[in-house]
Amino acid sequence: MYLSLRGLSHSYGTTEVLSDISLTVPSGQIVCLVGPSGCGKSTLLRMVGGLERPDRGEVLQVGAPPEGCLNPLTFVFQDFALLPWRTVEGNIRVVLEDHRIRRERAKEIVADVLARTRLTDFARALPRQLSGGMKQRVAIARALAVNPAVMLMDEPLSALDAQTRELLMDDLVSLWSREPFTALYVTHNLSEAVRLGHQVVVLSRRPGRIREIVQIDTPLAERGLGNPELERHQKHLWEVMRDEARAADEELLDD
Amino acid sequence: MTEVTMPEKSRAVPFRGGGFRPRPVRFVGLGVFVVLIALVEWGTRAGWISALTLPRPSDVLATFGELYRSGALWEHLSVSLVRLSVGSAIGVSAGVGIGILIGLFSLIRAGLVPLVAALFPIPKIALLPLFVIWFGIDEGSKYALIALGTFTPTVVATYGAVDNVDRTLIRMGQSFGLSWLSIVRKIVLPGAMPGILSGLRISLAIGIILLVAAEMLGATHGVGSYILQAGSLYDLERLFAGVTILSVLGVTVSGLIGLVEKRVLNWRA
Amino acid sequence: MLMNRRHALAAMGGAAAAATGLAAPAIANTPLVVGALRLTSHAGSYVALDRGYFADAGLNVELRFFDAAQPMAVAIASGDVDFGITAMTGALISLADRGAVKVIGGALQEEPGITGQKYLVSDAAFQDGVTTPAALAGRRFAISQAGSSFHYMGSKMAKAEGIDLEFIPLQSVGNIISSLRSGQVDGWSIVPHIALALAGSGDVHIVGDVADYIPDYQVTTVFTSSGNAANERAMTESFLSAFSRGVADFNASMVDATEGDAARDEMVRLIHQYVYTDREYEKAAPSIINGAMRLTPNAALNVASLKDQLDWFKAEDLVDQDIAFETVVDSSYVESV
Repeated sequence: MYLSLRGLSHSYGTTEVLSDISLTVPSGQIVCLVGPSGCGKSTLLRMVGGLERPDRGEVLQVGAPPEGCLNPLTFVFQDFALLPWRTVEGNIRVVLEDHRIRRERAKEIVADVLARTRLTDFARALPRQLSGGMKQRVAIARALAVNPAVMLMDEPLSALDAQTRELLMDDLVSLWSREPFTALYVTHNLSEAVRLGHQVVVLSRRPGRIREIVQIDTPLAERGLGNPELERHQKHLWEVMRDEARAADEELLDD
Repeated sequence: MTEVTMPEKSRAVPFRGGGFRPRPVRFVGLGVFVVLIALVEWGTRAGWISALTLPRPSDVLATFGELYRSGALWEHLSVSLVRLSVGSAIGVSAGVGIGILIGLFSLIRAGLVPLVAALFPIPKIALLPLFVIWFGIDEGSKYALIALGTFTPTVVATYGAVDNVDRTLIRMGQSFGLSWLSIVRKIVLPGAMPGILSGLRISLAIGIILLVAAEMLGATHGVGSYILQAGSLYDLERLFAGVTILSVLGVTVSGLIGLVEKRVLNWRA
Repeated sequence: MLMNRRHALAAMGGAAAAATGLAAPAIANTPLVVGALRLTSHAGSYVALDRGYFADAGLNVELRFFDAAQPMAVAIASGDVDFGITAMTGALISLADRGAVKVIGGALQEEPGITGQKYLVSDAAFQDGVTTPAALAGRRFAISQAGSSFHYMGSKMAKAEGIDLEFIPLQSVGNIISSLRSGQVDGWSIVPHIALALAGSGDVHIVGDVADYIPDYQVTTVFTSSGNAANERAMTESFLSAFSRGVADFNASMVDATEGDAARDEMVRLIHQYVYTDREYEKAAPSIINGAMRLTPNAALNVASLKDQLDWFKAEDLVDQDIAFETVVDSSYVESV
């Protein structure tokens, strides 16, 4: 299954935030969405996930979701959105409980995603006991549990410090390498985008339009630190974005 | 950088942080009680506090002991506890229920919030004669008074707590396709629980205050009626013994809620 | 001893008067606060004030009104009021025991042949066959509080009839009346003008006289602070004599009716300045006339009745068992009967 965005436009009152966005998120690829702050990337992601309604245009799911998929479009949030009163295990179970899954099957799923995110030893810990990186791994495990067709990742690493971010990027890469998943990945961090994206989509400042789509062909597993190919892409992206970012930074904020 | 000689004028940086952070200091609270009571005991014995002004603490203790030995303590306490628990159970459960509905549905919020705001400041005691006509002079009117008194603060605390539930958690629930009922049960309710419990503290304290009011009309037993009778007889020893019972009741209820919080809210730091 | 500025001034005035050797009235223009309820039974104070008897005695009296007897007793204990008239309640006895107040005279009493306090029953109870006080057996008898005069009257009746009553505290007369009307309680006892007014509405029925059960009942007493009783003898005597002149006028015009209708009407008008002020004279007059029980002449103390009341309080465990009659009553001011 893949996603097709057609002519998405949206306004808040008289302020147009997105204008005519058309984009394809191919199956088994990570598409990174970058742009200056306030360009509507997060709004776009929420529309793709059905949490917000676009004024014009549509989002199409093309083809059938994979077998055993409980929630085709699944979010991973910047602030993790873990239920603080549930354990790691409980936070994963909560998204399975509504799907009438047999108890043994649910146990298997939980065990599997915990193993894939290396959290098996922390199954009974409460969120407050976990570091930020662990919390985001729990959120990723939870997203994996519903076997999504497309993961919608809203700046998943932005709340983490630089070291943790590196570690988690490695985790994401190895997850993808073992079992490729489809993702639309919103970030404002260009090094993240070039590390994880098969495609990087650059949005302009408000109203957000697609400025450029950059293809990165280097396999994910080979994108180590200091890779000159990636440096080049990142530099190029920055040149595209710099003026937009400066202009966006100097805009007055409306209510 | 080889020289470490100090320039002629040097002084240590003065400390200017600290304070503004309450820390637990043990036994001071108890000490204040002890000193106050000892002072009153001394004053009443020495005579610079007249028998009209304050009772002698040892006499209050003796009255209390007599109350205990005669079994009257339990007689008064049991009926009051039943009134408090039945009345506040009705008021609190209705309050939590309606508070959640107000928190969840805009129409109900628009309809009921002004009503609750109008009910809140009414001194419930003023409605007691009316309740006697509506619910009878027996337990009915007493339950109703305590129920109404605990209802309004519970409603306000509950819908405030529901409003304060982290919206990103609700959005998470929706994004995973959880049913409306699941979101309410598994996200909204547990998320609102800290606010509801701290509201409960206030509601039950109000319930205890209203116990005295509820027992004004037609009660022959109960801590409240005991206090009222002591007041009308100007029997200061019994009055203070009764007030002490209410105080202890308040501390106990607050402690119980603390225990419940520890159990239910163990996920908080 | 409780001392306040007024007392201090009065004492200085007294000393000055004594020093100059003046005859009575020894204390000129002594400011006094007298507590009163808006009831016909407090007419002694109204008449003495209105007809200048207090002024004649050198007392500059200000009336302070209360809603109930209980706070009046406390106000005397606190020194805010000098003299008061009220039933011998548990609070009064407790305050006396604490050395704050003293009963110094009688104010109102039951007397055969004069309309006195009544036992009442609700219409529901009446329809249910409760047509005598004895038939209230096992039923609910309204009282304001344990240790109130209502409690005493109900308890004495129950004892005499050999029945049990369930006493229901309702705090105020207003609450009692509405509970009686709605049938929440079955019986009550009250002064005649309220009893007659209620019976007239048909919601409530009169089934007996308090005087039949408690003959010579000293319903209310005159009391003052212990300090006044012990140290302000001249002032207290002046008050009692002026008050008694008012009482005598009232009894003559209203109770014995020896002075004819004109004098009675004049008295009713005088009282109407203080009682039922929210009603027109024509409507208030019958109630005032109905409420005219005999005020005790010369504030005489009915020692037997007061002793009986004190014993009852002790028997009910409402006051301390060791309280002596002399602790509560200073019988040195007026004659005892």
